[in-house]
Amino acid sequence: MQGLFLDDDIQVMRDQFLNQEFDEVTLEIDGKRFAEYAKACGELDQKFTDPNHEDFQAPPTFVATLVGRRNLPEDFPRLNGVGMDAGKAVEWLAPIRDNMTLTGKSHLHDIYTKTGRSGRMVFLVTRMELYSEDGTHVANADTRTVIRERPSG
Amino acid sequence: MADQIAKISEVEFGIELPAFDPDTSIENVRRFGEYVGWGGGRFTDHEAARKEGFPGAIIPGVMSQGFLGAMIHRWAPTAQIKIIDTIFRAPVLVDQPHTITGVVTNIEEDLKQVEIDITITNEANETRVQGTATIELPA
Repeated sequence: MQGLFLDDDIQVMRDQFLNQEFDEVTLEIDGKRFAEYAKACGELDQKFTDPNHEDFQAPPTFVATLVGRRNLPEDFPRLNGVGMDAGKAVEWLAPIRDNMTLTGKSHLHDIYTKTGRSGRMVFLVTRMELYSEDGTHVANADTRTVIRERPSG
Repeated sequence: MADQIAKISEVEFGIELPAFDPDTSIENVRRFGEYVGWGGGRFTDHEAARKEGFPGAIIPGVMSQGFLGAMIHRWAPTAQIKIIDTIFRAPVLVDQPHTITGVVTNIEEDLKQVEIDITITNEANETRVQGTATIELPA
């Protein structure tokens, strides 16, 4: 949470939605896909680019490309503004390798606001927790969406 | 400034990482779109992007974040990136030169961890993407 004081409507949303899992998907990891991702991004280490490397694995940032069926809970209130991708965060916990099957479980991890000259901006942080088939927690991938609210009235 | 480091003992507070000029060409972004995703017009077609109100095609945010990871690995091939947080402040435009710079902001010898601030700037030296990363290095 970014600040100590929250607007009432934000506190209501936090109480209702934070840390409630709203989506679960199965993700098949394709080594060809993450090797091409690595090359396009400029990785030089063959463990990220060469499927024949003995330690072939996805670059840590690759998990940001894995998406669920939805980014917000089905019953999340419609906010008065346009949403934009404000950032991505990745926490690496264990290697992700070719042909792994991952389970991605999503929840709202944070809701907070910032107020600028053009008004209030609402930030929604959706976290997908990724688990391997044996239940190992391999990564967290956060998507930060900002909604710049339109003036009401 | 060493071009590469291998151990945490080689890292000094405040040192700058070697700058990295990512491949922002439309061919590279189209290839990214073909294999990874984000192949829509706003990323792969300047005219389509302009119709959406952008100055030209834009680099997908997930690709910009990948550039930051690659920059760290080029400097520290033995590093394990533990956390990388990226803030998209403005679009990174396709076919425009950009530079990625980084600076070491903290060293935790006991944890073998180093924190780095990373920035993508355009030719006008305007910040487009900011990132912070925590990496782990061998002792």
